[in-house]
Amino acid sequence: MTSDSGAFATYYPTLLRYAAVAVGLAVLMYGVYRLLRWLGVKREAATGFALVLPWVVGFLGFVLFPIALSFYLSFTEYNVLWDKPRSLEDPLFNYKRALSIRVVELDEGQRPLQVLGVLESPSPETVRFRELDRIRWGGKTYLIGATDPFFLKAIWLTLRYAVLNIPLGLVGALCVALLLNQKVKGIGFWRTLYYLPAVLPAAAVALLWFWLFAPTSGLINSMLKPVYNLLDMQPMGWFTEKDLVLPSFVIMGLWGVFGANTVILLAGLKNIPAELYEAAAIDGAGTWTKFRHITIPMLSPALFYNLVTGTIAALQIFTQQAFIPTNRDDGWFVNWFVYNEAFNFGRMGYASALGWMLTLMIVVLTLFIFRSSSAWVFYEGMRRDRGKG
Amino acid sequence: MTKYVRIAVLVLLVAALLPVSAVIGSAAGAQGKVALRVTNWAGVEEAAEFQEIVDAVNAASETFEIVYEPKPDAYYTQLQTALAGETAPDLFWLDQDHMAWAYEGVLLDISDYLAADDRDVANPDDYFAGVWQTVALADGIYGLPWIAQPVVLFYNRDIFDAMGVEYPTADWTWEQFREAAVALTTENHYGFTMNGWPPIHMFIWSFGGEVISEDLKTSPIDTPEAMAGAAFYAGMIWNEECCPSEQTIAEQGFGEMFKAGKVAMFMGGAADDLDRVEGLNVGISPVPKGVTGENVTFAWTAATVINAKTEYPDEAYEALVALTEGIHNWKIVSPRVSQANVEHLVASEPRKAANAEAILEAVPYMRAFRIIPRFGEWSTIFWEDFQAPLFRGEDTVENLAADARILLEDVLPK
Repeated sequence: MTSDSGAFATYYPTLLRYAAVAVGLAVLMYGVYRLLRWLGVKREAATGFALVLPWVVGFLGFVLFPIALSFYLSFTEYNVLWDKPRSLEDPLFNYKRALSIRVVELDEGQRPLQVLGVLESPSPETVRFRELDRIRWGGKTYLIGATDPFFLKAIWLTLRYAVLNIPLGLVGALCVALLLNQKVKGIGFWRTLYYLPAVLPAAAVALLWFWLFAPTSGLINSMLKPVYNLLDMQPMGWFTEKDLVLPSFVIMGLWGVFGANTVILLAGLKNIPAELYEAAAIDGAGTWTKFRHITIPMLSPALFYNLVTGTIAALQIFTQQAFIPTNRDDGWFVNWFVYNEAFNFGRMGYASALGWMLTLMIVVLTLFIFRSSSAWVFYEGMRRDRGKG
Repeated sequence: MTKYVRIAVLVLLVAALLPVSAVIGSAAGAQGKVALRVTNWAGVEEAAEFQEIVDAVNAASETFEIVYEPKPDAYYTQLQTALAGETAPDLFWLDQDHMAWAYEGVLLDISDYLAADDRDVANPDDYFAGVWQTVALADGIYGLPWIAQPVVLFYNRDIFDAMGVEYPTADWTWEQFREAAVALTTENHYGFTMNGWPPIHMFIWSFGGEVISEDLKTSPIDTPEAMAGAAFYAGMIWNEECCPSEQTIAEQGFGEMFKAGKVAMFMGGAADDLDRVEGLNVGISPVPKGVTGENVTFAWTAATVINAKTEYPDEAYEALVALTEGIHNWKIVSPRVSQANVEHLVASEPRKAANAEAILEAVPYMRAFRIIPRFGEWSTIFWEDFQAPLFRGEDTVENLAADARILLEDVLPK
């Protein structure tokens, strides 16, 4: 009984704040409504603005403000346990730390750390160049050193993941959508079945695949056992072997992408007028010609949408990795890297800078896709750059 | 008009909630007690046992009422976020790795409270020095340790008997230990198992080396003593002459192999349940002695600490002392010298009666990590740039130790 009353005492401030926010929002909505009416805005419009206000306040407070704050933090040194961020002598230090690269010659008997040196920038800590790669040219060995080779490797892994995952996901989803567009018995069941992965929680899916890929007890290696025996090889360590980390994540990533993409492409297929196929058939077009010259162009807006959202999602892969431990040197994606810098190494300022670099990467790639779309996306039979005419 | 009436009713309804919650919320205050929140990582069973201690402490206190909020999932991420948002509990558990938070100013320095307190639980001299060093950081004291679990050697008597090998004793040297591990390895079982656990630190300490110097300014892992300890570890890990391979451990489980009778010796925490597996005849011994003749071992320890921003530091300190006293009679092994006896250990955990003496033999030589401000980062480098490549034979111990020392010392306090 006493602990119950103690619990109320503990949660009371939260309850009070919650009520205060509710009342404050209600007052604000009413105030905005009255203000707009006073300014001569029509009743319907003023009501609409007032009703949308809680969302706007939430957006400003919980989305826009953190985004702006992270941009500011990226120029500071900040551990979340500190009261406030500390300013950096060199405001660009976090960005330099992430991207600095140096190439030096390595003589016989020298160790890389001895020759690579440290980052010459005013910094709160020693930042040392570490070996990223080495090349042999003209009988000499050159070291490529980076101040954060793990981040550069994470970018490389993430890009490779996106390059493999996106086209495979699109092609796979297109094939499934074409199959589901056929007039077969129980089509509703098959559509539900293929969409199911898209609604499963990512964490549950990650754990399921972790089990499927387990070295010996996993289903995949069990099924491959005859092949291993035939080739006299050890079972593959899917998430543990350096070269298999990427394929494992790509296969797992396709699982969820299939369902969501398929539904959108299926809707696109349904919207293609049947008379186009009929006209093409009268002209003697075969299945491939119809697919190439009718289905693909008419479906290009849906493919374009899937490509843009798929690219953004692939570059931000996080949840799966949170449940599947991999090696930092060759198995961390950028978002996971950012999270660890922020919360495990106490470098929120640096993590913010990395986050902004990831954002920049996504924006550049998305813009590139948008620019390229004028050449291959068609609306109502017209290419995107020519508009409707 | 109707619209204004509706709005007025809505506002009144919301406002009506406030006095109701105020009345309920002040219930604890009405009894003259302040509410203190405490959290830890306990799961269901452990949390239920901890709640009993909290209830007893609450019943005995006239000044505070503890509200217990267990957080078994993502404990440190949640706690860190709560500290950043200034909504963290007044008291919480930290394992030794996270005691580095003391350097960030989020933990209350209790030195003055301890100096004015003559209770045994508040006496720093009554704690084992190797454990106390995890809370005595910089110029302050940032919590009270509630456990000091030394790593001990669990051994399967049946396998020893079948192979005709003498049971381990505190007099064993590391070389005798290795020879026994090899002798106990057959097609059916391995002599020992390692997988990054037990910590390589204790082998380095046992061979006379250090991973962080006493002044916290160097990481002398390239000394002959430190490299000898590391090389000994590297010579056994995943070496099928004595131990299962990495792949075998991944497939069959680490501790599970010992429980299944497939491993003759296992190093685990003294409180582990390995000596009460049904059908297994298990004994406990201190780990082998090192170059100094002492059975130096690693201590897993954790402390209860106070949030530096607690509104009620005096009451929080009283709660800390009361909770710690309770936990010292619950968890084994108590980190206090005065409680390092068979009677106290068995009273806390009756199931350890048979091996209590062997566990207590290990206690005087246990030591925890030396805590530095960026301990998490230091540990990551120690694993990635020294241990992992050493275990996989990627380079010599000399080269790896020399390189890793440079990187490790970059993160040490200047």
